[in-house]
Amino acid sequence: MSAYEAQSSSEHLLEVKNLTTRFYTEDGVVYAVNGISYTMDEGDTLGVVGESGCGKSVHALSMMRLIPIPPGKIEAGEVLLRGRDLLKLSEEEMRHVRGAQLAMIFQDPMTSLNPVLTVGFQIMEALKLHQGMSDHEARARATELLEMVGIPEASLRLDDYPHQFSGGMRQRAMIAMGLSCNPMILIADEPTTALDVTIQAQIMDLVKRLRDKLGMAIIWITHDLGVVAGLAQRVNVMYAGSLIETGPVKEIYGNPHHPYTAGLLGSLPRPDDPPGTKLFSIKGEPPDLLGLPKGCPFAPRCTYAVERCFHEAPTLEPTEPGHLVACWEKERVEKIQ
Amino acid sequence: MVNYVIRRLLLVPLILFGVTVLIFGMLQFLTPVERSALYVRDIPKNERALEGVIKQYGLDQPIPVQYWKWLVGTRDPHTGEIRGGILRGDFGYSRTASEPVADLIKRRFPATLELALWAVLPVVSGGVILGVIAAVNHNKPIDHIARIFAIVGWSFPDFVFGLLVLMFFYADLKWLPPGRVSDWANQVIMSPEFHNYTKLITLDALLNLRLDIFWDAVRHLILPVVTLSYLWWALQMRVTRSSMLETLRQDYITTARSKGLAEKVVIMRHALPNALMPVVTLGGSTVVGLLGGVVIVETVFDYHGMGLAFAAAAVQLDVITVLAFTLLNSLIMVVAYVIVDVLYAYIDPRVRLD
Ligand SMILES: Nc1ncnc2c1ncn2[C@@H]1O[C@H](COP(=O)(O)OP(=O)(O)OP(=O)(O)O)[C@@H](O)[C@H]1O
Ligand SMILES: [Mg+2]
Repeated sequence: MSAYEAQSSSEHLLEVKNLTTRFYTEDGVVYAVNGISYTMDEGDTLGVVGESGCGKSVHALSMMRLIPIPPGKIEAGEVLLRGRDLLKLSEEEMRHVRGAQLAMIFQDPMTSLNPVLTVGFQIMEALKLHQGMSDHEARARATELLEMVGIPEASLRLDDYPHQFSGGMRQRAMIAMGLSCNPMILIADEPTTALDVTIQAQIMDLVKRLRDKLGMAIIWITHDLGVVAGLAQRVNVMYAGSLIETGPVKEIYGNPHHPYTAGLLGSLPRPDDPPGTKLFSIKGEPPDLLGLPKGCPFAPRCTYAVERCFHEAPTLEPTEPGHLVACWEKERVEKIQ
Repeated sequence: MVNYVIRRLLLVPLILFGVTVLIFGMLQFLTPVERSALYVRDIPKNERALEGVIKQYGLDQPIPVQYWKWLVGTRDPHTGEIRGGILRGDFGYSRTASEPVADLIKRRFPATLELALWAVLPVVSGGVILGVIAAVNHNKPIDHIARIFAIVGWSFPDFVFGLLVLMFFYADLKWLPPGRVSDWANQVIMSPEFHNYTKLITLDALLNLRLDIFWDAVRHLILPVVTLSYLWWALQMRVTRSSMLETLRQDYITTARSKGLAEKVVIMRHALPNALMPVVTLGGSTVVGLLGGVVIVETVFDYHGMGLAFAAAAVQLDVITVLAFTLLNSLIMVVAYVIVDVLYAYIDPRVRLD
């Protein structure tokens, strides 16, 4: 950890330190997030990738303090937003952060809007709450926001209910809602996964445009490495609740040092592949987060694993400036061609 | 919304037509002699006189003609007076009550209405409100207590429960009496100084500023109301609780919280309307269930309402009375289901804007 901490002395927009979240379920303890640390600066776009169930959403919800307690519990860590630890705030103080400084949009636009309230009402709600706007002001602003995310006839559509919107339009409305109070960071939890490919591309374009215009930082969670490449400057790769590799997009793609990252990249289809090329796939089962393995969580599936990997967990160490990897054998790992 | 309500209301006459046809069909199982009770108080013993009555009221005519006469009544050729006609509110004569069925209903209906209205109170407060509180405090003591009460209510048949509380609070403890009011209170109610505005004793007592009568009526109501409503509030509480728990797990609740809304707002504004949908749906069945329960509860507690009259008529095969009550029952149920539909549309825009 020491090398990592030495780097992060100056104040960052966001500094996550040793974030640890567990769920105490009837089946046992789920080790969902295990001591994650990273930083972000103003205007950064950070991609968070990893396969299903590796703790991406729980890590984001923990920062928002929205995991259900019980069964969940944030065991340890700090989430410093401009130096203020969100985990130490009272619930009341935290409410002023949610939606105002830290906003979040979700995977499934079909279920993340309330079916019995109009889209306009749901956008105006945050404006009235955080910016003290009157009904009239909030309505005007909500119209602007819907126009900004590309919904035609915005002032009329405000009075529509979610079921009168298409999936793509709902996600646009969610984005409008997320950005309504000019948050410092927008957390997008797989916001395009549930959409058609063409709509996905439109939403990605929209987010890029809005980022350039408004300058907010973005945490973009996805299991699609391809999506991250076009959007983010940095990538966090998660495996079994741990951060196993982090670095600039170019570094991660060109020079992965964790066997899991290398495997993920190897499993991406490439346009110049001859037809019928078999894609690489990581062998073995994704990990069970009930119980924490003693060594490296990836060791059972790793082709590079040595004796040490099974009883001693590796920590994040730099390989290049800004590129950190948690792997004992990182020097041997090669990109899969 | 208006369109939706109109469409629902247009269905009502259609349903009621079906109901009347059904009930008229049942009347056809009676002999013409028995059916003459629809029009005359005393069925003549004398064969010739009997034939006269059957002729006079068309009880031997084709079925559609009889149906029409049953609906609107027929004119007595001697006196020129119209008799029968359910649309005029004339259901014939009750053999068991020795009076026109309409008078019986007029006399007994307020008592049952009063019982039912009071029973709605625990269904809403004990069922719906407690269900929400239990869900919000999931797995805390209040949740467990509410669930135990609900399981007990759900597993006791109402007549068993009624007899148990009657034995305990009336026979043993002598705290709460059966009947509708005490004798002294009844005398006051009958006296000219007491104005019967609504015939609901509790309400009239308050309007007459007679708190003693009000209290007496409430004491008589407690046991029947509790017995009548227990099963239904237990059911409503279970449905509300699980529906609320389910709603609180929805993505849009996380969205609402992620906006920074206070938990109270999240629950009242974002969760409750969604959670209430199955509760409202159950409202229709609850009304039906309460109506059925009334027969048993009034019998157990000797409470002189419609249910008791219905039971008496049924035991003596007084079909004319039974079918008149059935008709009224159907009418109430149709109204209840229309109200449920309208409430549903009011809550859910997906229904309303369809
Ligand atoms: N409320 C909960 N109770 C118990 N376990 C939970 C709860 N929420 C999440 N988990 C567990 O935490 C782990 C991480 O889940 P998480 O939702 O963060 O995965 P993810 O990386 O977002 O996956 P996906 O790509 O499928 O969204 C999983 O094993 C999941 O089962
Ligand atoms: Mg997720």
